[in-house]
Amino acid sequence: MDMNMFIDRVLEAAMAAGIDTAEVYCQTGENFRASAMDGEINQYQVSTSAGLSLRGTVAGKMGYSATQAFDEAAIRQLIEGVKESAALVEANEQDEIFAGDEAYPEIPKAESDLKNVTPEQKLALCLAMERAAKEADPRIWKVQRAMVMTGANTIRIKNSYGLDLSDSGSVCMAYAAPIAKEGDKTVTGGHMVAGSQFAALNAEAIGKKAVEETVCQLGGKSVPGGEYRIIMRNDAMQSLLSTFAGVFSAENAQQKMSLLDGKEGTVIASEAVTLMDDPLLPGGFGTQRFDSEGSASITKAIIDKGVLTTLLHNRKTARKQGVKSTANASRANYTAPVRVAPTNFFFKPGEKDLAGLMADVGNGLVVTDLAGLHSGANPTSGDFSLLAKGYTIEDGQRGHAVEQITVAGNFYEVLKAVVAVGSDLEFPGDSIGSPSVDIGTLKVSG
Amino acid sequence: MLDQNIAREVLQEAVRTGGDFAEIFVEDRIDNTMMMRSGRLETANTGRLHGAGVRVFSGTNAVYVHTNDTSREGLMACARQAAAAVKAGGKGCIVAPFKAWDAARPEEIQLLPTDVKAAVKAEKLRAAEAAARAVSPEVVQVVANYLDHVQNVCICNTEGVFVTDQRVRTRMSVAAVASNGTENQTGGDNPGASMGFEIFDALIDPEKVGENAAKQAITMLHAPVCPAGFMPVVIDNGFGGVIFHEACGHSLEATSVSIGVSEFAGKLGQQIASPCVTAIDDGTIVNQWGMLHVDDEGTPTQRTVLVENGILTNYMIDRLGSRRMGMPITGSSRRQSYAFAPTSRMRSTFIAPGKDNEAEMIATMGDGLYAKKMGGGSVNPATGEFNFAVNEGYLVKDGKIVHPVRGASLIGRGSEVLMKIDRVGSNLALAQGMCGSMSGSVPTDVGQPMIRVSGLTVGGR
Repeated sequence: MDMNMFIDRVLEAAMAAGIDTAEVYCQTGENFRASAMDGEINQYQVSTSAGLSLRGTVAGKMGYSATQAFDEAAIRQLIEGVKESAALVEANEQDEIFAGDEAYPEIPKAESDLKNVTPEQKLALCLAMERAAKEADPRIWKVQRAMVMTGANTIRIKNSYGLDLSDSGSVCMAYAAPIAKEGDKTVTGGHMVAGSQFAALNAEAIGKKAVEETVCQLGGKSVPGGEYRIIMRNDAMQSLLSTFAGVFSAENAQQKMSLLDGKEGTVIASEAVTLMDDPLLPGGFGTQRFDSEGSASITKAIIDKGVLTTLLHNRKTARKQGVKSTANASRANYTAPVRVAPTNFFFKPGEKDLAGLMADVGNGLVVTDLAGLHSGANPTSGDFSLLAKGYTIEDGQRGHAVEQITVAGNFYEVLKAVVAVGSDLEFPGDSIGSPSVDIGTLKVSG
Repeated sequence: MLDQNIAREVLQEAVRTGGDFAEIFVEDRIDNTMMMRSGRLETANTGRLHGAGVRVFSGTNAVYVHTNDTSREGLMACARQAAAAVKAGGKGCIVAPFKAWDAARPEEIQLLPTDVKAAVKAEKLRAAEAAARAVSPEVVQVVANYLDHVQNVCICNTEGVFVTDQRVRTRMSVAAVASNGTENQTGGDNPGASMGFEIFDALIDPEKVGENAAKQAITMLHAPVCPAGFMPVVIDNGFGGVIFHEACGHSLEATSVSIGVSEFAGKLGQQIASPCVTAIDDGTIVNQWGMLHVDDEGTPTQRTVLVENGILTNYMIDRLGSRRMGMPITGSSRRQSYAFAPTSRMRSTFIAPGKDNEAEMIATMGDGLYAKKMGGGSVNPATGEFNFAVNEGYLVKDGKIVHPVRGASLIGRGSEVLMKIDRVGSNLALAQGMCGSMSGSVPTDVGQPMIRVSGLTVGGR
């Protein structure tokens, strides 16, 4: 049945079935993905999807249920699911359904050109990107992915208090991943560009940049183990911040999963560090007018010149601590319960670009890539020990490529050891971003 | 789940523009997840995943279109969209008469999880949680998760395959956090199987799972950081098998081999590992977490010997990979759900038992690292560069285990590390994991007996 009608029927039925307050969270989208190899389109994937979840309180306890089928049977299944789950859960601190804020921010948004783009244009971009990468350097042996992805997705929240919010967004992404060979040496690299405008994706530029990121690794070698002064390039620092973003969640702190519990108002980082959560950033991947509970978005510094000002809260964690929600309620997808997550989350940029940071460091390493973050980094302890790539800094200049090393440390200690934050803030197709950061010394194994 | 007449019509439409193969995958799946934290059941969710995908080949090019709408109209819309993207020209292949069969084996499951009350499931979490907390006052947090799913699928294609199947899996996982106020360390245990709720009679003692997680967290809290360096490493059985999974397994999937990108492409019949290494990817082990009846292309699964006495004997090959490589399919094409096109993936992958003595391995290793419990890892198949985490490690001095160490990781290149395995024990055990790749996250086993690698780069501080 029609989605609007289905949503209204679900809410009506929930009320009739004795659910006290109820809310529907609905995600719909159209996604496209294609990739070229050896001058042909070898992968092509298109989808339309819709998913809906119902949450509701019965005797003060919240139950959840979700579906991808939208018929009468699904309505019964949703309501039974919510009632069964609400009867079971025992948590002391309960989620609640929110009647809504008085006003919601308006965020300037450029109209995406995506709806005027044909599949043929997307395929042409894949092929052009592959060609550009291959022609950029004779050492390029193959382009293992020349991919274009586009998506248009809508979120709607409607609840029994009469709150009815919706937001939609479009994303266009292009990615090239060449493989370079020289002698018996093989290296891989890649470059991605993402934004709301398809017209901004330039095949030539993406292909060339991807090749640059790849061939610069040829001739790479390990370095002797020991303590090294390290600059994390913006993309590597971004991946580290993404991995440890959860330590700033009030939910994790309250559950003893983060060491920042009770640390508000204290110094947890060097004075050079200001960490922002800005859902109002125009054009950001985490830009939103409201969070997953319907709270109006607000911009805040999480760390201000080294001092932890607040953790990220949803309504439940805020109530537990006697503070106001920071509008960071998040649902990973429509089936997931309400948790906490950052929006546009980034270190506030400093004065110097990467070259300037390198000049100040003199001798050390620039890390450009970290691998194994899902296993070699422990978000609860802060410990990490990761496979890394990059290049040496010799007398402030770029030296030779470095591979097959590990860098090891602890995220909480890294925050305190930051010497300087660079000016080159980037969001690599993600809501979490970073400039390059001089993080002091780390132990390197080679 | 799918009417044969509609299926025929949809397949015919899908190849209308010259496709030479088409396939429909329909899925209806009930997922049940529960999470207990601080001794209280925080979430108990049921979700229903429902959808279908239509895939069309033209030579070695593939188009995949998927939707939630599994009605005739929804499927025909997918087929039309796929056909429009193919445009190969010509008439397209003929849809062969269906040979319909049911691959489900209900006799393997004693108690369908959908027939068990949620309150009964919650009791298992409660037992695990309490046992973990009882280990030490330093255990400050325990998160116990339970999951089960019943996935019904129907897979049919233009070559006459029309098969239905039911896949049932149940798993429990416990994560414990130990803290001394200024430092946190974690421990975990995550057993699972292709079983119903009888798993708690046959395989899983929830209290043991809780204890294992908590003890590991406590051990690591009191462990100094692992020193960095190049040293011999003994890797214990069970989840230690992640080394083969990352260092070699992914690079033997047709996904990278068929396009020549893998470091093991073109090396069939050549020695790629030390002669003491035989490695197998097996989908046929009944009730095993990574087992299949038929794969997600409808092919009956099989046991595939990948490496025999160090010689590369086979790859893991899906339908598209088979076309590119000119080699037979191995019944190991998998996908997370209908929202992914399937590709070659691992099932239960392990190093076969050898003849070496486990105690001797450590006694004769000199100074090095004993990796008792491994964490996950990743690999770049094109270069063979892998990394993985050691969740519970011990420093070895002069052949004797001295003390636990934390924060260690192991890195290297697949082709190099396989040649450096110099001992393979006999105590084979498998362990469960979720493996992420192009076709999403799928349940796989890793496994091995205890092995020794003569030298590896250990990341530490």
